[in-house]
Amino acid sequence: MFLSETKKSMKLALAGLLAMTMLLSACGNNNGGNAANSSAAPAATAEGAAEATTAPSETAAPAAEKTVKDAMGHEVTVPANPQRVLGSYLEDYLVTLGVTPVAQWSIANGGVQDYLSDPLKDVPEISFDLPLEAVTSFAPDFHIVQSEGSVQNGLYDQLNKIAPTYVLGDEISKDWRKALLTIADLLNKTPEAEKAIADYEQKAADAKEKITASFGEKSVAILWLVQKNFFIVDETRASGAVLYGDIGLQLPNLVTDIPAESRATWNPITLEKLAELTADHIFLVNSDQTDASDILNGPIWQGIPSVKAGKVTELSATSSWLYSGAYANTKTIDDAVSALVK
Amino acid sequence: MSRMIAPASAKVSHSRHLTILMLLGILIIVMFIVSMNTGLMRLTPLEVVHTLLGDGTRQQKLILFDFRLPRIVISMLVGAGFAVSGCILQSLSRNALAEPSTLGINAGAGFAVIIFISFVPATAAGHIFVLPLMALIGAMLTAALIYFLSYRREDGLSPTRMILIGIAVGAGIYAIQMILTLRLDPQNFQFVSIWLAGKIWGGDWRFVLALLPWIAVILPFALYKSRVLNLLNLGDQTSAGLGMPVEKERLVLLAAAVALSGACISVSGGIGFVGLIAPHLARRLVGPKHQVLLPACALIGSLLLITADTIARWILQPAEIPTGIVVALIGAPYFLYLLAKSKA
Repeated sequence: MFLSETKKSMKLALAGLLAMTMLLSACGNNNGGNAANSSAAPAATAEGAAEATTAPSETAAPAAEKTVKDAMGHEVTVPANPQRVLGSYLEDYLVTLGVTPVAQWSIANGGVQDYLSDPLKDVPEISFDLPLEAVTSFAPDFHIVQSEGSVQNGLYDQLNKIAPTYVLGDEISKDWRKALLTIADLLNKTPEAEKAIADYEQKAADAKEKITASFGEKSVAILWLVQKNFFIVDETRASGAVLYGDIGLQLPNLVTDIPAESRATWNPITLEKLAELTADHIFLVNSDQTDASDILNGPIWQGIPSVKAGKVTELSATSSWLYSGAYANTKTIDDAVSALVK
Repeated sequence: MSRMIAPASAKVSHSRHLTILMLLGILIIVMFIVSMNTGLMRLTPLEVVHTLLGDGTRQQKLILFDFRLPRIVISMLVGAGFAVSGCILQSLSRNALAEPSTLGINAGAGFAVIIFISFVPATAAGHIFVLPLMALIGAMLTAALIYFLSYRREDGLSPTRMILIGIAVGAGIYAIQMILTLRLDPQNFQFVSIWLAGKIWGGDWRFVLALLPWIAVILPFALYKSRVLNLLNLGDQTSAGLGMPVEKERLVLLAAAVALSGACISVSGGIGFVGLIAPHLARRLVGPKHQVLLPACALIGSLLLITADTIARWILQPAEIPTGIVVALIGAPYFLYLLAKSKA
């Protein structure tokens, strides 16, 4: 009984094995091609679209290709004169340096960095998670990535096949001046970066003088209202770094109450807690234009002393207050001056 | 015994089975071609052929050889792996609900990954190879735990007990997993949640190389054990009566199934349902004999996942949805259909 059964099942097993081998070997064959194309020159198709997007470089000196080490320790060869730069969420720096990127950061349903809508008017969008085929379609010749976290699990190697990819790193990204100088160095635009920073410091000093004269060194609070939740910014980033760090205004009690080690850039804060806010002026970045009216008309919000006194400046979500960078901070200063200097 | 009853019909079904296997093979090839032509970058079929023959632009080569093909190959391998693993587990437990994810093996692998990510930031170097290893270890440990808990000295391993304990262990692990997940920072949280939903990574030939040995060894091994699986399907006592060392064979096959699914999870994350549906479909098509059931399973699994991955890349362009979610979207209605049908 078993013997004949075995014969038959052997045949079937063999057929099955054959089918599986076919399946497997069909997969294995395409392995050879990829080593060769990773180092080849940029495609001819890319060049047609190239000229319009990149502003002519002012550096006349003949730049040479250079090899640098990025935040993750990759050796990156930066082209002599990158023409098609991609730097998702680093657009502020690129714009400051006079470079128009080939694509701009976006999230689903058309969310972009609205405060940059002027300089990036004609720049197409790329999803924040950098889909490989999307990156390829823009044919960048140099790619800067902001955070280590966004290129984990082998994504870096894939991106680096498309174009030399430099990871700026979270540590440098924290400080917009450092980030700007690092990027400028990569793109041979250090003089532009130094000028932008000097201009900014001058503007901040002027603003500080005006604000101190008119408003004094009082405390202000910067609140961000999103999906009916309030967040309060500390002095390290974005508009917080501008107002507290560069202009020298005082942090409000609600921020100083949070122990320094558990402070975040944006600290969640309950409406009840907000009732204790004693800031002399409130900047409210309202990302909830429509459905937040019941909160803003509610008794708790209306009961805050500075709200009662009418010392609130509302900024829309398209303002620069949530962002860092020379371009963003310059706009933030303009907003602050027009709100505080009477 | 069986030979006396049906020599003629065996021959007929034999050729019918071959036809079905061939048909599945052809469908996979068709889907393979469709998948190569699917993506954000428009490549016409002609351009694909040109690129395959070696004269595409650099961009086209990059997209085809470095992004699309590895991903397609990985989905095929993973699909076959999960399907065969599910098939073995179903036969071992004689329970149609058994598969890596119901047995808690997916949960165990995910758990190991989360623990690892909690301690080593996702950006550390070498991550790409350590992570799969962690998933594999997690899967193995979970399986060992389930086996240990469901083994009784007096009556060996009860399949039903194994399933129930697997579900319980899986639920427990999920709970702890949830707690740990909530403590991750946003960056890692996003990574883990996508991983858990089952996403085939942008694709990388290195993953193919990492996965291939497992598939290439365990699939033929399972096929070699077809007869044992056929017997186990009859029940422990019958198999033991026919002179088979039931407990030993079961342990070996269980280890094979877990290793297979663990290897697949490590590359693709927890894609459930494939291990559940593919054996069901295969059984309907070719019957319960493992000599042909296993190959059919592998082919159906491949077909299912290559299709799911193609849909995942295409449906919400330019965004991608995790492949595991697409499989579940296809799988759930099919299961409801099965349920409705079996009631009638």
